[in-house]
Amino acid sequence: MESLFTWNFASEIVLSTFRMATPLLLVALAELYSERAGLVNIGLDGIMSFGALAGFMVSYLTGNPFLGILAGALGGILVNMVYAFCTVSLCAEQTVYGMALNIFAPAISAFIYRVYFGVSSTLAQATLMKTIAIPVLKDIPLVGPLLFNQTPMVYFAYLMVPMTALFFNRTKAGLSYKAVGEYPKAAETLGINVVRQKYIACIICGMLAGIGGAYLTTCYVNTYSDGIVAGRGFIALSAVIFGHWTGSGVLMACLLFGFCDALQLKLQIISKDTPYQLFQMIPYVCTLVALAIMGAKKAGPKAKGKPYLREER
Amino acid sequence: MKKVFTMMVVLLLTLSMVACAAPAAAPAAEPAAADKVYKVAMVCDSSISDGGWGAACYNAMTTAAEAHGWETMYTDSIEVADYVSSIESYCSLGYDMIFLPGNQYSDATKEVAANYPDVKFAVLNGNDQLPTENICSILPNADQIGYLAGGLAGLMTKTNVLGFIGGMELDTTKAKLAGYEKAAKAMNPDVTVLSAYAGSFADTAKGMELATSMIAEKADVFFGDASAVDSGARQAIDNANGTGEINVFDIGQPADILGQNPCIICSVVTDNAGMLGLCMDDVEAGTFGNKVVYGTLENGCLSAGAINTDLVPAEAQEAYLAFVESVKSGEFK
Repeated sequence: MESLFTWNFASEIVLSTFRMATPLLLVALAELYSERAGLVNIGLDGIMSFGALAGFMVSYLTGNPFLGILAGALGGILVNMVYAFCTVSLCAEQTVYGMALNIFAPAISAFIYRVYFGVSSTLAQATLMKTIAIPVLKDIPLVGPLLFNQTPMVYFAYLMVPMTALFFNRTKAGLSYKAVGEYPKAAETLGINVVRQKYIACIICGMLAGIGGAYLTTCYVNTYSDGIVAGRGFIALSAVIFGHWTGSGVLMACLLFGFCDALQLKLQIISKDTPYQLFQMIPYVCTLVALAIMGAKKAGPKAKGKPYLREER
Repeated sequence: MKKVFTMMVVLLLTLSMVACAAPAAAPAAEPAAADKVYKVAMVCDSSISDGGWGAACYNAMTTAAEAHGWETMYTDSIEVADYVSSIESYCSLGYDMIFLPGNQYSDATKEVAANYPDVKFAVLNGNDQLPTENICSILPNADQIGYLAGGLAGLMTKTNVLGFIGGMELDTTKAKLAGYEKAAKAMNPDVTVLSAYAGSFADTAKGMELATSMIAEKADVFFGDASAVDSGARQAIDNANGTGEINVFDIGQPADILGQNPCIICSVVTDNAGMLGLCMDDVEAGTFGNKVVYGTLENGCLSAGAINTDLVPAEAQEAYLAFVESVKSGEFK
């Protein structure tokens, strides 16, 4: 245990935290954009697994992980259009269709992988995205090499946070966007096309969640296996609630989840005699404690989860 | 129009769910006894294309079935809640034998087997209490698997720190870990073993994180028991080795996977096909049931795979082969 509190230990935890938080952050932002337009999408896990497959296949076949990310984004949008059509155009129950995505998308991903690669004991391995160090920032002592020597997708994810905050709070388009999630009827009277806005939200959500999935297979691990998403979509979903539907809140929540997971894996290794289940509880205990302290005072967008029937009074 | 469409979508989704849950095979009529074609089905919670446990078990079934002229079918990636219904659906489809690749199916198997006395069940890693009239356990010796990995790991480590990554804390995994540690200490008394569980067999990224952490704690030979998680660990090891000299090694299982990653020095090979083949013989002869089919070094169902001669020095190879012999003869236990 004496290796606790050393610089090496801390830097490993920081690196590991960022690696684990990045896919969560991308997907949590996806959900944020969806919920801000009143659409609760619990199908993130499904969209991610399709994105992970699309990203892996394209990166494997072309050798270019950036094309993989692009394919992941397109795949994510494609899957989420099923959800969009059913919940926005047909006004169906959002939870049910989110769940349907969670069942349907991983199965079709597994099917495609198996048809293409067959069943063999050897694994297909794709090229991973290279890290790019940012010239000046990487020379900052201590934090520089930790934070500024990552893959471009990590920078993209963290840049999305201030961009999202700016968009929702400082632009007209962002305020109109939020209005759709708060009170769609009032928004419509102000000339905002609610249905179009909701479709745009679904495109953004599908894109970011697809990228989040593709991140796993193009920047993180170089193989694809069924279940690779491992519930990250649901953690991202809770990160949005935890982060009170704001970009910075979501970032904090994702970093907390990432940190707890990094810590529990590390603690398992350095203290051998403690039952590992105890450490695996850490992320969940932290969530419970943090929720109890912070509470969920803001209830989020008022019209979330409700279908928008244009002609209803 | 909207309603009709919604209903169609719901119907489609329901159908696809049913299709996922139940195998897409037509119920076959019983052929005449003389030219009876036997059928075996596998029900599995991991994926058969995971490049690890699931793939090895599926390949074992198809290999054994091919040798015996049996037909095969499988359902994979199922949840715990669906074990019973999946197994039952194959029973009602008239399958002769159901192959269950793991100890975790024991309870579901007992439940179903009581209702289908004519169907035979082969549970891989099932314990020795499990067998009944129509259930057999196939039990590769987990201690010996651990010994085979630990012996080589003890010979190869330079830092005296070894890594072990498990998926879940199954009895067989615990036995493998204990055997690994014991054999490694026999080769090199200064060895310490770091161990951790990913809590999953599919979360490749966790395997990578765990292995990265262990390498930071100076571990230089790895062994794992966690399917797809192992491939994440191997990726972390390859990353740590970089393009230069290979100083961190991995030992694979249950298939011979030498060459899949540059860091692999050897594999502990379990011949599941051989053991399943013994069960098929019993089904054909009508002697199935009340039996544990053991897989050991002695009967050839366990073996040390090919050794990476570029990485393992000649004297270590010799010492390892001598150690394997001592395990085989029962001298080391």
